[in-house]
Amino acid sequence: MSGFAVFLGKELLEIRRTWRIWVIPGLTLFFAITGPILALFTPELLRALATTDSGVVIKLPDPTAREAFAQFLQNLGQIVMIALVISGAGSVSGERSSGTAILVLTKPLSRPAFVLAKVVSQQILVVISTILGTIVTIGVTAALFDKLPVREFVTGVAIWLAFAIFFVAVMTLCSVMIRSRGGAAGAGLFFLFSALIASAFPIVAKWTFAGLPAASTRALLGQTPPLLWPLVTAGIGMVAASALAVGMFQRQEN
Amino acid sequence: MTTSTAAVEITHLTKRFGKALALDDISLSVPPGSVFGFLGPNGAGKTTTLRILTGLATPTSGTATVLGQDVRHAGHDVRRDIGFLPDVPGFYPWMTARDFLRFAGNLFRLDSRTLAARIDSLLDMAGLGSVSAKIGAYSRGMKQRLGMAQALINAPSLLLLDEPTSALDPIGRREVLEMIASLRGRTTVFFSTHILGDVERVCDTAAILHQGRVVADAPVADLKRRAGAEWIVVEVDGDARALADRMAGAAWLRTAESSGSSLRLAVLDLAQAQRAIPEAVAGLGLGLRRFELAEASLEEVFVELVGGPRP
Repeated sequence: MSGFAVFLGKELLEIRRTWRIWVIPGLTLFFAITGPILALFTPELLRALATTDSGVVIKLPDPTAREAFAQFLQNLGQIVMIALVISGAGSVSGERSSGTAILVLTKPLSRPAFVLAKVVSQQILVVISTILGTIVTIGVTAALFDKLPVREFVTGVAIWLAFAIFFVAVMTLCSVMIRSRGGAAGAGLFFLFSALIASAFPIVAKWTFAGLPAASTRALLGQTPPLLWPLVTAGIGMVAASALAVGMFQRQEN
Repeated sequence: MTTSTAAVEITHLTKRFGKALALDDISLSVPPGSVFGFLGPNGAGKTTTLRILTGLATPTSGTATVLGQDVRHAGHDVRRDIGFLPDVPGFYPWMTARDFLRFAGNLFRLDSRTLAARIDSLLDMAGLGSVSAKIGAYSRGMKQRLGMAQALINAPSLLLLDEPTSALDPIGRREVLEMIASLRGRTTVFFSTHILGDVERVCDTAAILHQGRVVADAPVADLKRRAGAEWIVVEVDGDARALADRMAGAAWLRTAESSGSSLRLAVLDLAQAQRAIPEAVAGLGLGLRRFELAEASLEEVFVELVGGPRP
């Protein structure tokens, strides 16, 4: 793994100095701040709209902290996952098409180090962004609501994070396999939607990583979804996807 | 590890891309410390050869050794002694030149003091010492000069350069060629180019690659002597075109190129030419100012060997 630390340092510096700092962390913080506010004011807005002209009165329950947390989790599961697809799709293919891969791979940087630094840097970015987003969400929610189900929320976020960390490795594999950024993004989206659709089958949700997104929502509701096999298969899947990406990249010509 | 003393040794190397044959059984040897020109028209296989030498591509058959190690099994030990500049170097646009050289130096695990000193001297050499802009704002020539600098960050024993002067203006080109020449004896330089003048200026030895085959591999002076014709330069006190027209079609003459009052002739039979040319000059009533044997240029050798227009 010659050059891993140096290349990982380059990846982290690249995140800090380029648009990448605004995508995952920026989106996560944006949803952390706006989620609780939207949860608080959405019922008010709906009531105002419903009573303005028609005279119809809609009875809506008072918003809760759980809804604020649910809003954040929903945004993580949808928009942040799409952002992971877009940023992950070009992680390896982008370096190939720009010619930077040639320049670094002819130095003492091993191919496994190149691929794994991509995976690890993106995982670090997701973990830090999610932790910051979670803290901010809890802070904003505490300022607006009473009775915060913090433990359930943190459990739900942690389950989503496990899926996201696994998915980063899958996206890196897509970027190694498919030389165009668009093609890699398409493959990543196909995988993501396939997993989400498959999770509708209880047996798949119980025994595979596909059950993690739904499990994060159930955890927030205070339920105890089956987690052992979804977490184990996500861990195995992450290692397998990373190993496959390394193996393929070592055989490819640049 | 082989016992080869050559800096680069290529033996019966073949590379196929599907049905296309990019390299066809090429063999050549580059002595250590020499400046080696790898000459050929676009598409001849020069970049493919360099990609194999740097480990970016694998040969279909044959072997290539770099600094005594087979490139297919060479680890990072050999990469630490190699500098490489691709034909179009790709850089991270968000970095400065200093950032990139520091990053490259760290990959070679240079200690911080050595690296700092080397970065300063290489930036000065590349004319980028006072440039603080990000690389994304660089011209192609600036990127090429930075490419040279990064290829030298590890003070390599072998410098592999793919078309290093193709994007440079005349001044930049001269500077790079002078820098390459200054490495002679200390570093082996293997550079591919389609610019014949560059090879003539700095190379000790050159190989000419055409359609994936090495058609010549020898010291530059020997290559020039290999041209099938001998060369004569004639200068008269009138228009040399009339003289060229008068001699056109002669059995001993291959080509005649006139320019003003001078004429450069490729001749197949020197003895006949030495008699016929003064006769033709006299027949036209011209005065003969100069008549001398000349050396073939590398361009002429190239055209002779490749059998087509110059690249």
